[in-house]
Amino acid sequence: MTDSPAATAAGARPVPTSDVDLFADDVLTDPYPTYAALRELGGVVHLPTNEVYALTRYDIIRDALADWETFSSASAIGFNPMVNEALTGTSLASDPPLHTQLRAALTENLSPRALRGLKGQIDARADELVAALVEEGSFDAIDAIARAFPLQVVADLVGFTGEVRDHMLTWGKAANQVIGPLNQRTAESFPIAGQLYAWCSEVAKDDLTPGSIGHGIFEAEERGAIPEGSSGHIVHQFLAAGVENTVSAIGNILALFAAHPDQLALVRNDPSLASAAFNEVLRFWAPINVWGRKTTRDVEIDGVTIPAGAQIAVMFGAGNRDPRHYDRPDEFRIERNPVDHLSLGYGVHGCAGQGLARLEAHAIIDALARRVKRLVVAPETRVPHNITRSIESLPVLEVVPA
Amino acid sequence: MKIVLDRPRCEGHGLCEEAAPALMHLDDDGELILDRDEVDPADVGALGAATAAVRICPVAALSLA
Repeated sequence: MTDSPAATAAGARPVPTSDVDLFADDVLTDPYPTYAALRELGGVVHLPTNEVYALTRYDIIRDALADWETFSSASAIGFNPMVNEALTGTSLASDPPLHTQLRAALTENLSPRALRGLKGQIDARADELVAALVEEGSFDAIDAIARAFPLQVVADLVGFTGEVRDHMLTWGKAANQVIGPLNQRTAESFPIAGQLYAWCSEVAKDDLTPGSIGHGIFEAEERGAIPEGSSGHIVHQFLAAGVENTVSAIGNILALFAAHPDQLALVRNDPSLASAAFNEVLRFWAPINVWGRKTTRDVEIDGVTIPAGAQIAVMFGAGNRDPRHYDRPDEFRIERNPVDHLSLGYGVHGCAGQGLARLEAHAIIDALARRVKRLVVAPETRVPHNITRSIESLPVLEVVPA
Repeated sequence: MKIVLDRPRCEGHGLCEEAAPALMHLDDDGELILDRDEVDPADVGALGAATAAVRICPVAALSLA
C-alpha cells in the first residue's frame, strides 16, 4: 500500500491514494486488515487500480447513503459499464423520482407490512429444519441451512416453480458476481447472469404461482401501478438479491455462533436478543462489503474533493469496523445490538428485502437457541466472490443439543 | 421539537417502535402511528427516544424538525 497523494482540486488537501485492489482474491476472502489500513489512510481514499474513490469511515458512508442527490445510483452501483447497462430500469440502479415509483412496486409486496402474516410459517419451517439436523448430528451447515432455507422461502414467496428453482442459486451468485470490475470472475459469470436476464425478460404472470408476490407484481403492471416492462426487473432483483445475500447472512449466523458458543448462550438465556444477534452478525461480517455510487457534482468530504462523475466505492464493511463509531469493533458481541450498522445500506436505497431477511434470520436464530447448545465444526472454506462474501462450506461434526 | 414522518417512504419496518415505544407504534395494518409528534427538548428521555427512532429508521422516513 502506498501513500502518495493524488492531484486534486484547488483549496482541498490531496486525496490519499492506495494501490490496493479491493477485488483481489485475498482481500475478498479476508478483507478486514486491508479495510483497517484504508480507513486509517483517510475517510476518502483514491484507488487507481479500481478507478474508484473509496469511502472508508462510518459517518462518511452513512452521510453519503443519505444524500442520493450527490451520490447517484443511476449507472453507478456496479463496477463495470456492462452491468450498469443491464441493471438500468431497476430500483437498485435509479434515483428518485423514477426510483420512488419502482421501489413502491417492489415494497408493495415485500415490505414488513406486506409480510407480517408470514412469521408463523417461516418460524415453523426453520424449527422443523433445525430439529431434523440436530437429530442427524453431522451435515454441511451452508448446504443444509444457509442455502436450503432462503431458497425455499423465496421460491415459494415469489412463486418460482419448475426448473427455475434449480437455477436460483447459480443465477443469484452470478448476478452478484458481475457487479464487480471486469476481472476473470466477472467475465466467467456474465454468460450465467445472461441466462437470468433472458429468463427475467421473458417471464410472464402465468409462470409464477397465483397469489405469490411475483404474480402480484405482474398484476400491478397490468393495472398501470408500475411502469410497463418493469415486472421482469423486479423478479430479477428477487432472484439476485433475495437469495445470495441471505444465504451469506444465514451462513454467517451459523459460523459465528459455532465460533462463539458464549454468544449463542446469551440468546438461549434471553430469546429477545435474536434481533440484536442478527444486527451484530450483519455488522461483523457484511454480506456485501462494497457497493457503487457516482458523484453528480464536485463534493468535499474529510477535507478532500471528489470530482463530479467519479465512481465511488461505498465500503459498508470498513464502516462497520470503524472504531470511531463502534467500541472494540473487531469483537463479536451481540449485546452491543448495533442497530445502525451499514450492511443493509440506508435511506431511499436501504435494502428492500430486509423485512424478509429479518424474518428468516430471526427464525433460524430462535430455532438454534432453542435446540442447540453448541455446534462443533471443521474449519470453514471460502471462495472469493466480487460482491457477496459468504462461506462456501462449514462442516458440522457434532451438535451438542440444548 | 416535531417528529416528522415521510409517510410514502415508511415501509413499516417497525424499528422505530422498538426505539421509542412511548412515542409511536405500528397499528394492526402495519401503518406507523405517531402517538406524540411533539417532544419537549427539555424532556431528555423523550428526546433521546425520538432521536434514536429517527436514527434507526432504515429508509430515513423519520426526521426531527
